[in-house]
Amino acid sequence: MKNAESSAINVASETTNSGPIGKKKSTTPLLAAEVPIRPDRGTHRMKRGLAIFDIVLRIGALSSALAAAATMGTSGQTLPFFTQFFQFEASYDDLPTFQFFVIVMGIVAGYVVLSIPFSIVCIIRPHAAGPRLLLLILDSVALALSTAAAGAAAAVVALAHSGNSSTNWLAVCNQFGDFCQQASGAVVGSFAAVLLFLLLILFSALSLKNAH
Amino acid sequence: MHIERPKQTPSQSFQKKMKATMSESSELKSSKTKPGVNRGLSILDFILRLAAIVGTLGSAIAMGTTNQTLPFVTQFIQFRAEYNDIPMFTFFVVANAIVSGYLVLSLPFSIFHILRNRAHGTRVLLVFLDGGMMALLTSGASAAAAIVYLAHKGNAKTNWLAVCQQFNSFCERISGSLIGSFAAIILFLVMIFLSGVALSHRRR
Repeated sequence: MKNAESSAINVASETTNSGPIGKKKSTTPLLAAEVPIRPDRGTHRMKRGLAIFDIVLRIGALSSALAAAATMGTSGQTLPFFTQFFQFEASYDDLPTFQFFVIVMGIVAGYVVLSIPFSIVCIIRPHAAGPRLLLLILDSVALALSTAAAGAAAAVVALAHSGNSSTNWLAVCNQFGDFCQQASGAVVGSFAAVLLFLLLILFSALSLKNAH
Repeated sequence: MHIERPKQTPSQSFQKKMKATMSESSELKSSKTKPGVNRGLSILDFILRLAAIVGTLGSAIAMGTTNQTLPFVTQFIQFRAEYNDIPMFTFFVVANAIVSGYLVLSLPFSIFHILRNRAHGTRVLLVFLDGGMMALLTSGASAAAAIVYLAHKGNAKTNWLAVCQQFNSFCERISGSLIGSFAAIILFLVMIFLSGVALSHRRR
């Protein structure tokens, strides 16, 4: 053991006192390859800025998704007149498409809540590519889900507003005005969430672009 | 002058050699396989784009050419169903046509990514546009799906009758045309995923 240590010290002193002819630097290119490349401060700051903006957009998407789900879920209207057997009421339960809308927007809002910690990790470590890639993929899935819910509900709301003569479907909104308004508002909220998810995908892709 | 050269123990020299070869080989590995993986991802992206073109174009054509005329006729009305009659189906055809046009225009970009591995800027652009087009396609497909569902099942509360019971082949056609669109949506998701993985590979 002692021999090994002393031999190590001897080797070091040998190279430094090698004299004018052999005064070459002890080049160790292999060691240099192991040193991690340090990114410059510029991209560091830009990525941190993108990550902070990402959290802001995420909170916006959460609020719009939650608002859309809540507005549709609490939509309902009871008309003031009734006959002997029926009371005229409409609620989101009556249309399976609106049920689908509420459930999917709830799922999307839950996903956004769960993705906020990942976003915070991306702020703390701006050059980590793993969480960024995961957020990119899950955000695109959330985009697809919320667009599907928004499109389906928009189709039914448009149908309820204008009816269809060829299929003999009557425009229900003429009677249930409030219900239609609430449903339309919910659809608008979900389209806002769609736009925010698209921006989130863009920011994740930009952050991944300089991931080193 | 007698320079004494201290002898390294065999284990030390062996360790040094192993470290040297390992770091050398890892450097070589990272510079050889990463462009290879990226190229494979880009080729897969190109193939998926071609498949998505087929899917969206097929859906647009299948929906756009549906019509059915029932054999009986009253004095005033002829019972005819066309995709034009329902505005959501028109939107579906238009959205599918736009998305298939975008996919055709993005094929050169995809080929550019196969040839050049370092084209990060255009990859980001393609990710963003793919996301936007996927949103358009999904909204069209889900709107048409909602109307097809209503046509199949009807709705008791709003007094909307299930139309499919009369127009059988029309209903079958519109239901089938949705499949190509939904397949294209899944392909878009995979394309965005592939572009993200290709973007995240570290460069040395």
